[in-house]
Amino acid sequence: MITLRLSIAGAAALSLASIAGAQVPQPAAPPSQGVVLKGKAPVSDQVLSVKLPRPREATLANGLHLIVLEDRRAPQISFTLQIPGAGGFYDAPDQVGVATTTATMMREGTTSRTTLQIAEQLETMAAALNVGTGMASTAATISGSSLTEHADKIMELAADVLLRPTFPDDEFARYRQRTVAGLNQQRANPGFLVQELWSKTIYGDHPAARLSVTPAQLGAVTRDQMVAFHKARYVPDHAVIAIAGDISFTDARRLVESKLGGWAKAGTAAPRTTDPAAAGPSKVHLVDRPNSVQTNFVVGAQAINRTDPDYDAVQLMNAVVGGGPTGRLFIHLREEKGYTYGAYSGLNAGQFKGSWFAQTDVRSEVTEPALTDLMEELRQIRDVPVPAKELADKKRSLVASFALSLESPQQVLNYYVTSWNYKLPADYWDRYPERVMGITTQQVQNVARKYLDPSKVHIIAVGDGKKVEGTLKKFGPLDTYDVEGRKVNTVVP
Amino acid sequence: MKVVDSTRRARAAVVALLLAPSAALWGQAASDIRFTDTRLKNGLRVIVAEDHVAPVFSIAVSYNAGSRDERKGRTGFAHLFEHMMFKGSENVGPGEHFTLVFNNGGNMNGTTNKDRTLYFETLPSNQLDLGLFLEADRMRSLVINKENLVNQINAVQEERRLGRDNNPYGKTFDAVDSLTYTNFAYQHSVIGSMEDLSAATVEDVAAFFKTYYAPNNAVVAIVGDVKTSEVLEKARKYFESIPSQPAPPPVDMTEPAPSGEERMTLEDPLARLTRVDISYLVPPSSHNDDAALTVLATVLSGGRSGRFFENIVRQKQLATGVSASKGEARGPGLFRVIGTVAPGKSAADVESAIYEEIERVKTGGVQAWEIEKARTNARRGMVASLQSSLQRAILLSEYALFYNDPGRINKRAARIDAVTAADVQRVANTYLTQVNRNVVTTVPKPAASRPGGQP
Repeated sequence: MITLRLSIAGAAALSLASIAGAQVPQPAAPPSQGVVLKGKAPVSDQVLSVKLPRPREATLANGLHLIVLEDRRAPQISFTLQIPGAGGFYDAPDQVGVATTTATMMREGTTSRTTLQIAEQLETMAAALNVGTGMASTAATISGSSLTEHADKIMELAADVLLRPTFPDDEFARYRQRTVAGLNQQRANPGFLVQELWSKTIYGDHPAARLSVTPAQLGAVTRDQMVAFHKARYVPDHAVIAIAGDISFTDARRLVESKLGGWAKAGTAAPRTTDPAAAGPSKVHLVDRPNSVQTNFVVGAQAINRTDPDYDAVQLMNAVVGGGPTGRLFIHLREEKGYTYGAYSGLNAGQFKGSWFAQTDVRSEVTEPALTDLMEELRQIRDVPVPAKELADKKRSLVASFALSLESPQQVLNYYVTSWNYKLPADYWDRYPERVMGITTQQVQNVARKYLDPSKVHIIAVGDGKKVEGTLKKFGPLDTYDVEGRKVNTVVP
Repeated sequence: MKVVDSTRRARAAVVALLLAPSAALWGQAASDIRFTDTRLKNGLRVIVAEDHVAPVFSIAVSYNAGSRDERKGRTGFAHLFEHMMFKGSENVGPGEHFTLVFNNGGNMNGTTNKDRTLYFETLPSNQLDLGLFLEADRMRSLVINKENLVNQINAVQEERRLGRDNNPYGKTFDAVDSLTYTNFAYQHSVIGSMEDLSAATVEDVAAFFKTYYAPNNAVVAIVGDVKTSEVLEKARKYFESIPSQPAPPPVDMTEPAPSGEERMTLEDPLARLTRVDISYLVPPSSHNDDAALTVLATVLSGGRSGRFFENIVRQKQLATGVSASKGEARGPGLFRVIGTVAPGKSAADVESAIYEEIERVKTGGVQAWEIEKARTNARRGMVASLQSSLQRAILLSEYALFYNDPGRINKRAARIDAVTAADVQRVANTYLTQVNRNVVTTVPKPAASRPGGQP
């Protein structure tokens, strides 16, 4: 099975050339013998014309923006309520973990329901209701879904959790105890370790570096902090609720107004973000994980935010390098060389400057050739124009998969929520295919040069230091850490 | 045939299994997924369901070839073979299959378990020929050579490292199967052993292909924005000349009567918390008790209102999580309970608390709301599948292969609706017994510290 694991943050490609100097052999031509195209399969080149369904929108009296996409295909509804300013991004540096804990604890009891009653009522309806935010997210999200016949009840529960949480002490103590165990367990996972060090390296002290709360931070969170955070930050002024499914705009509006009409406008300004400081010159960073049989890599640099004019070109560049199993990384590292089960790249771009990254996990023995090849891909995309056919295929892929995503009403709705969040032009998604088709070879090379600047690219590795430390030193100055994230001396003197 | 929206009407039980593409038979309960079921001359079963809501369709091909069909010394072979299916056929180059699918905006994958190997694609509706051609070409003419084989043995061994050898509890899954099953068919892992993977030869692959990838040993389901008559015409064009083969040897799936509880303790250098895996042998999913066992799993561990979470995780705080599940199996199945022990608590206490909850079902029964919860769950599962052509295609092909009954897709809610509280209590008493269970305890083994002498 081919597993796509695109989960980190993303940014700019790099080429090791300057990091590795003469030690890394650099093949010249764009590699491609892993895939052979015989061109005999019948492919329709007719362009599938797609009509993007239109939602209806309104801004309610308390500032809450409503987006409704009616879809009568299945007797169910789903909704997403996003509250900017209530995410972990806005935790004070000495109160990290308050936002995520507040969000989680909102479901643990309200003025009229215990946590068990909430769970029983939801699960008897086979309905879903989640409150959450990420450690580096700018918004908190309440999302839910149910059969149509339970629409009123699920919205009632969502409103109860949003407006009347009590943060009961006993449930908080239980939550803390359960969570600390999981926090401990996640350090056993090399995927977590590599992401943790990556975030720290790329974002430094910026809130974007936050990946997971520590047991100490969680232990310091108090009920008063949660109550205060909830009061100050869960406000409707800049929030958006999007509803898709078996419901009309009129009924959806009536439902939202009846359940959330009492959510009072606070008069607060829209929350702001800042970009992280530059990440410093390129380096290699190793987490020494004794007994690791693989080396896990994330390689990349800071890149752009979502509204950057380069966004579409960077997405296309990313698709060429590692966007799925037709990307160069997968074809060369897995299909051609058999170093790995998968190799991909990705872009993280939100309200603030995000990152571009390439990632793969390889068996320890091939750490050196695999990293050499990975770095070579970054050099290629920067130094060699993408062949016309390859670029055309990638553009078609992006546009056609956009068309296919319209099968899911939730996905269609997500496009419009994105438009709202980033104040994109009204015809942004209608013009998406046209914009992608218009990107030139030169634009792709320009963004590769701009964001995969070899002097800014960092290499993060998790592996058995005894086996791989010597290899990694060939790729640049090396910092080594233990699995608890503490900097240590070199493993092999 | 469009899927008609109106589950609101009721959870009408129902089924319309059609053995011929005859429109006259359609029009059963409104919430049904309607389909045609056709056998080509070479034995290939082709199931088609129309749904024109989005310009998309999905193909699922289920081959009657899982790890249960493997012989000793060749474990991991069915899955290795799945990888080979992407390495090219007469008219499709290595990797061209997924390149064409992704370049045209589609999605695809392959997956192998004990009971079958499944391949699927989702594509824009103007690429029907492409999807059928790709599946037919590799069914007809897979390229089998040493170079592809070695390349994919490496990829599979890497997959094994990733999933089993480099993650906490990776080896626990193998241990559960090897302890619980006596019959080799289900006893060994799908991923196989490193030694057996390395031993696979080109001749093995060729023989496996001829027997197991024959059209008469597969089911193709096509769901979405297509016309049934056109699909059948094209399916005949692309598939019907692929020769059928003698049926593969039947697999002996019989398990001896359980001989009493067996226990095993594993040390895992990558785990941080102790984990208890309790497994009970239960009948195949075709058995009448299957639905009641599904409801039992929901009662015990469905969400946060399930008994395990409420009592063992939230109240007693003995575990960080306890789950119960009953997987789908053509042969003897497993009812699995997994408890992750909270720091400072004992595995024995978690195990006792799990048995206590199971005994409470046996003696105290279950409540009406717990049954209602399981029923609504089944109904929502059916409703959700109306939004995914791929999910429907997969279920139609698997149900045809496993139960000779693609119409089972429309019975999912009715099967659960028929379960009573007394049934749940009865299956708990019948199957969740001490003599019928095995227990694997996985304990963290601290990695040797460094620097210093390491063994």
